[in-house]
Amino acid sequence: MEKVHTTCVYCGCGCGLFLHVEGGSIVGASPSPAHPMSRGRLCIKGWLAGDFVGHPERLSYPLLRQGDRMVRATWDEALSLAAAKLESIRKEFGPHSLGVLTSAKGTNEENYLLMKLARAALKTNNVDHVARLCHAPTVAALGSALGSGAMTGSFSSLQNSDAILIVGSNTTEQHPLAASYILHAKSRGAKLIVADPRRTRLAELADLWLSPRPGTDVVWINALLNVIVEQDLVDRQFIEKRTTGFEETAEAARAYTPGQAEQISGIAAPDLARAAELFGAADRAAIVYAMGVTQHAQGTDIVQALANLALATGNMGREGTGIYPLRGHQNVQGACDMGALPTVYCGYQSISSPAVRAKFEDAWKAPLPEEPGLTALEMLWAAEAGSLKAMIIVGENPALSFPDSYRVLKALKSLEFLLACDIFPTETTALADILLPAACFAEKEGTFTSTERRVQRVRKAVEPPGEAKAEWEWISELMRRLGHQADYPSPASIMAEIASLTPSYGGIGYERLAAGGLQWPCPSIDHPGTSILHTDRFPQGRARLRPVLYDEPPEMPDADYPFILNTGRSLYHFHTGTMTRRTSLLDREVPTPFVEINSEDARLMGIREGNRVRVETRRGSINAEARLMDALPRGNLFLPIHFSEAPANALTAQAIDPLSKIAELKVSAARLHKVIS
Amino acid sequence: MKAFLEKDRLIPFLNTLSRQIEVIAPLATEAGAVYSTWQGQPLDLRSNPLSPPTEFLLPHKETLFRYIQESGRYTFKEDSIPPRLLFAIRPCDLHAIALLDRIFGSEPSDQAYFRRRRATSLVVLNCTNRGDECFCACLGAGPEAQDPCDLEITDIGDGYLCQAETPAGVLILQAAFNLLQPAQLEHDQEKARRLQLVEDAMPRDRSYHQIRQAIERADWVALGQECLGCGGCSFVCPVCHCFNILDRGVPDGERLRCRDSCILSGFSRLTGGANPRRTAGQRLRHWYQDKFEDLPKITGLPGCVGCGRCHLVCPAPIDRSDLKVESREAKI
Ligand code: SF4
Ligand code: SF4
Ligand code: SF4
Repeated sequence: MEKVHTTCVYCGCGCGLFLHVEGGSIVGASPSPAHPMSRGRLCIKGWLAGDFVGHPERLSYPLLRQGDRMVRATWDEALSLAAAKLESIRKEFGPHSLGVLTSAKGTNEENYLLMKLARAALKTNNVDHVARLCHAPTVAALGSALGSGAMTGSFSSLQNSDAILIVGSNTTEQHPLAASYILHAKSRGAKLIVADPRRTRLAELADLWLSPRPGTDVVWINALLNVIVEQDLVDRQFIEKRTTGFEETAEAARAYTPGQAEQISGIAAPDLARAAELFGAADRAAIVYAMGVTQHAQGTDIVQALANLALATGNMGREGTGIYPLRGHQNVQGACDMGALPTVYCGYQSISSPAVRAKFEDAWKAPLPEEPGLTALEMLWAAEAGSLKAMIIVGENPALSFPDSYRVLKALKSLEFLLACDIFPTETTALADILLPAACFAEKEGTFTSTERRVQRVRKAVEPPGEAKAEWEWISELMRRLGHQADYPSPASIMAEIASLTPSYGGIGYERLAAGGLQWPCPSIDHPGTSILHTDRFPQGRARLRPVLYDEPPEMPDADYPFILNTGRSLYHFHTGTMTRRTSLLDREVPTPFVEINSEDARLMGIREGNRVRVETRRGSINAEARLMDALPRGNLFLPIHFSEAPANALTAQAIDPLSKIAELKVSAARLHKVIS
Repeated sequence: MKAFLEKDRLIPFLNTLSRQIEVIAPLATEAGAVYSTWQGQPLDLRSNPLSPPTEFLLPHKETLFRYIQESGRYTFKEDSIPPRLLFAIRPCDLHAIALLDRIFGSEPSDQAYFRRRRATSLVVLNCTNRGDECFCACLGAGPEAQDPCDLEITDIGDGYLCQAETPAGVLILQAAFNLLQPAQLEHDQEKARRLQLVEDAMPRDRSYHQIRQAIERADWVALGQECLGCGGCSFVCPVCHCFNILDRGVPDGERLRCRDSCILSGFSRLTGGANPRRTAGQRLRHWYQDKFEDLPKITGLPGCVGCGRCHLVCPAPIDRSDLKVESREAKI
């Protein structure tokens, strides 16, 4: 038996684990005791990470569409056809008619190559990935406030916090190892403040639980800042030395009085005062947040409001302080870092800077497009409108994971050409003209970057099934067929190119990535990596506070649709469930789609635990099993996104954050019926 | 039969063995110690790997048989079991294996387990360096091997005292005869001295009875609130042994036996949806209860060997090195 050390494929915590290999297949998994972050611990998904790998339903041969059927083809046929199709569409309709969706599940090397393929070979900046639907507001808001959109500290730093404010993150379920650090901090005496409409596990354990009405975060965060300023719990020295914009921001926050906050957000004024005291008086306070903050039409503003709070109190750049956005996919950080975004190259270097573009044109030996590309949803709407003709979608299932699925399906169907690549058949691959079988994380070499900026190795433990291939291999091949040079003997050589073009990855090379990886920025080969950002300066010099004003969520409950529908995840499943629902123990934990309903609401409607109910919004309806929850406030519903038979995104709203283009996924007006069967 | 093996002959000794049989040993890796097939890699004989060696008897996932359908008829195929030698497992894990032998040996005995068990030779390394969380002495599992094995070895400074306990153990020593020296009386004395030192340093406050009392007193609601449901405690416990069976593949495929865990709610959920152990606290309590009440009744041995792994692997701040629930009780 061999044990291959690698990185977990599920969430952004980035735990280290061993895959146990025997006779060419994976027979188990176990945690790595010496990993600097996970230290011998894993969540249940990590323990079972190798389980789906050898599943008989894996895609194992390239397939081409012939009418309604998919027929087996060789790689050569599939890639020749793909190149020919993409070329002819580009000739006829121009490069703007092409788009690429990369995968937050893919490696850094693959994301880099796909974004290079889009820009250098297809000549379009239409490249994006699922971060648009999770942390685009983080990248936008923290990028402008702090100069970097990433987590400012490391998980281990939370051990030294005196107070931790957790907003919109069901951490024990979504990021269990982050929760581990938070719980340990608490047992050492740190105060926990949890803001979440649901009474989550952490809310139960917290010193203070705030339950804002969904979508009203800007109000209570501003009011919290207001109280902190009034009580002079701000850090004057930090504000003066290291920030700009404090006065205007404080001034704008003054309009948000505790009384008003109570009225709009439902958080009682004394609770807010207590929060101000716990957070403001702490020497070292940290803010942890996740999709409950970002997946809103005002996502960018909410993140900015949190940044204002951290900056005004001087909680930045020291152990135990900082802002901790928890990223969902194991490599969504890396996909962003690699420039799988329509406006930046790798390392967030702007495509609109002539100097940057010249550097990449020089390195890639190709002229590059100037015009910013479309975001993920914009690409789909362009497809719907007929201006985008062809897409490459790698390791992503927008038909289920993107909001308003009916419209997404329609958009995908109206494409003239869809090249999809995945490990399992999905709702999206069902629409492909060419379907390529991918190697999964256990079958290839590469790197993932965790949410704490830790670049870590992914190692090949077993061979891919059938003719499935690592994406970097076919992407290089497709690039060559599109007339662009791409001679990469291995992922290590791709990383060498990434390092040469990406200042924050400048010192990263495979030979340096031992069990614990390296945290970027790591600009040179003798640099040890960076555990805490902004210790003495921000990338742009000073951090920027910016006033933010509350906008009502675009869709509020009304007489027709009296419930607020919230969507999210379960501990036992991941994304659209393609891997976890094929892991028997995880599937057994949560085998069927469910919707959480407040117990009292359910009682009044005559709904019992386990009853089938229909959830409807203005966009669609689904059936699911009722789960009665005291932890959910009245008038709220919660629906997980993992189930294709009850696609939550058939219901979600279209409203888009103007700043980051994320969709409103947390607040939709809904109604509920008991299904009589 | 006893012999002395100088430290610099250990690698040649393993080389000799690995020419005859697959040798599983604790390997040093950049990410910590793991039991894995030894092919000359550096060893880590100082730390007890987090993932226990019992997986070589009770794999995380094993194919019981493959089924192949041909013109409406099924044929079944069993894979052959590779003979193996587990080198340098610790006395606690050996004690766990003795317990697994009792559990799987009760009639009708478990064939899949014993096929592997019979193909496996056990070489135990007595503990002269205990881990921070170990409390084997409290449970009669160590630091010296208490149960039958093929070969027992003890680090006595410049070499290992080797004691063959079975004919298989004698064969192991004979295979490497030219590397060994005769054992001396002072080797025995040195072994006893070293093991006594470890024994003296062991915590004494985690006996079977003390833990049972702690289980009664613990605040399981509070403990359950902190448990993150990772299942890790049951997955690293060398005594835990529950499994699930599933068929994968139609019409051809394999019948798999996979490890399972009573920490998971699906384990105890009834068909109708009710669950007698609905909360994490109830499940955690049940886990302890099985080890300290039920298994002792059934097997005559506590279901814990004091290896301390469940503490090391737990992401929650539950202090279970000695089930310090008493102090927690005061705190909560
Ligand atoms: S916490 Fe995240 S990275 Fe760690 S094991 Fe669980 S899913 Fe994997
Ligand atoms: S219960 Fe804990 S200490 Fe006891 S044998 Fe199992 S893992 Fe080791
Ligand atoms: S290891 Fe800890 S967190 Fe995980 S299931 Fe056991 S008690 Fe719960």
